[in-house]
This record gives sequence, structure tokens and C-alpha cells, in this order.
Amino acid sequence: MATKKARRPEVDTNLNINSMMDMMTIILVFLLKSYSASDVSVAPSDNLTLPFSSAQKAPEVAVNLVIEQGQILVDGVPVLQLGRKADETSGKELPIVPEDEMQGQNIGKLYDVLFEKAEQAKTLGERSNNPDLAFKGRILLQVDREMPYSVLRSVMYTAGQAQFGEFKFVVYKQE
Amino acid sequence: MAVKRKAIEDPDLNLTPIMNLVTILIPFLIMAAQFVQLSVIDSTLPAIGPPTQVEPPKPDEKPPLQLSLALKDDGIVVLGADRIIYPDGAPEVAEGEKRPPTLPCKSGGSCTNVEDYDWDGLKQKLNLIKDEYPDDENVILVPASDTQYEIIVRAMDTAREDAEAGTGDGPRTLFPFVVVAGGAM
Repeated sequence: MATKKARRPEVDTNLNINSMMDMMTIILVFLLKSYSASDVSVAPSDNLTLPFSSAQKAPEVAVNLVIEQGQILVDGVPVLQLGRKADETSGKELPIVPEDEMQGQNIGKLYDVLFEKAEQAKTLGERSNNPDLAFKGRILLQVDREMPYSVLRSVMYTAGQAQFGEFKFVVYKQE
Repeated sequence: MAVKRKAIEDPDLNLTPIMNLVTILIPFLIMAAQFVQLSVIDSTLPAIGPPTQVEPPKPDEKPPLQLSLALKDDGIVVLGADRIIYPDGAPEVAEGEKRPPTLPCKSGGSCTNVEDYDWDGLKQKLNLIKDEYPDDENVILVPASDTQYEIIVRAMDTAREDAEAGTGDGPRTLFPFVVVAGGAM
């Protein structure tokens, strides 16, 4: 009797995946819609929140300079740590460029890195003979929205000294 | 009877290959998906060069517009267009006293956040100036040292175009070429 019980009629073992297929199809359409092959990407973090803007111009490839709360990065490589200093009037702690890094308005370490980038881009442009690749001094600036202008001014001045004169401020597009 | 029963076939479609395809496509698309749209604002460094000879304006000509916006912690000062903003003459400022901002903060005193600045008022003033100088497209931003980047971007947005004053084919372009200057100390 026991053996007979084990041989019950075979149950259909097919999993019903129809509902899963429905879900996948919807996800697929949604993801295809948000697909983008943009050249510029941001890595949002607690230290970097870009401001919103009504600007409509699409970003293009250039040297990528990021000013986060705490550090400055060029093409993803940390270049300089920012200090903090209490503001005299409001008492708020604001990021500043450490004084021993500054030569007047120029930030020494950042200048060296940017100057090298500019020279590289120039060499590349000359060798390629392609006017599209010629060095135009474009630089993408991703700046945290709470960054005081004093830091931005020093960075812009330094970039200008290193032959980057065309600034592109990266912002979130307002819907 | 037995033959008839055999004719009923399993109507299930074999979805496994499609499932395989979709499971590979989804991670790929998630990686390439961008949930925030980025855009850029163009700006250039102020050109450095030998000072150009400015000819004194003839009495019957309009003086050239040198529009600047100073972003200070107590409001926005519109510089270089006093004749339009104050048609009856600029308000008197006692000697030794600082000139009050053209557009003080909404809450009075010093501005606490971005929304505290009088952006609507600025838009109105810029529209007035644009009416007078329709060919001018430059504006210089002069932020204070502690002005937050967000406020600078908002000022650029306000100066670039006015969505409400459009004439059918898009927003009205005000002063799209923004240059950020050295700043008020």
C-alpha cells in the first residue's frame, strides 16, 4: 500500500511565469525610455548635490572638475582637500581652500593637474588633425549647491590660468 | 476514446528563451538608465586684454548698457541701469552710508535661503531694461564671497530668459551671456 501511495498521479511542474513576463515587459519599456547614452555622468552623493536650473543645453565631453563638500576632483581623481572655516557674520561653517595651498588666487595643486590636462588635450588635438578634437579650453564644473563663491572663484581663476576659459556649469534639468 | 484524449495538447507557450533574454536586458538597461537629466550653463572668463578706448557718448545717444547684478547677503543690486530702474532719479543715500540693495530680501535683513531673494522683482526689472536695450545680451554677475553657488545659478536662470513674457514662440530671451566676475569682497 505504501508504494502505491508514493506513485500519485504526476503533478504538472510547469511554473506559471505569465505574470512575471507581464512585469518584465513593463520594466523593459520603462527602462528603454530612461535609457541614455550621455557622455557626462554625475555620481550624486551626500557631498555633491547639483542645483536645479531651467537651462536646456546638453552637456558635452570635456575635462570634468568636481567641487564637493570636502574635496576637489579632476576627472574622478581627488586633487585637493578643502578645509572648513566658521564665517564671521553668520557663524556657519563654510568650506574654504586651505591657505597654504593658495598662491594669491591661484590653487597650486589644482593648477598643476589642469595645466597637464590642457597640454595633453592640445597634443591630442594637434596630432589628430581633426578640428572637432582641437583644444577649446572647455571644462565641466560640477559644484555642490552650497559651495560659497570664494571657493568657486579661486577654482575658476586657477582654471583660467591653466587655459580653460570656457566654463560649463553642470546642473540638474528642471522638469 | 483513447485516441481522442491524445489529441489535446499542452497549450503552454515555452517562455523560457524570452525570459532569458529579458533577464539579461534588464540589468544592462538599469546600468544605462539615467534618472536625472543633466544640462549645462555656458559661461566664460571675463576677457583680459588691453583696455579699449571708450568714446564719450554723444549727448543725444543712449549711453551703452553695462548691466551688472551684485548678489549680496542683503539682496540684489542692479548696477548700470539706474536711469531705467529709477526714472525719477536714484534715491538719495546719505554720505558714508551704504546704498541699500535694489531688490532687498523678502524677509528683510539678510537672505536666509534662495527663495528669500526677490527673483520675481529681478525678472520684472530685467524685462524693463531689455525693453530699453533690445540688442544687449550681456550681464555680469558679481557675487559676494559667501554667496552660495545655488543662488548664482538661480540668478543666471533669471537673467537668461523669462518664460512668462514669451511671445508665442518660446520664452523671452533676456540676457543669455552671463559672465561671473571677480566678486565683491
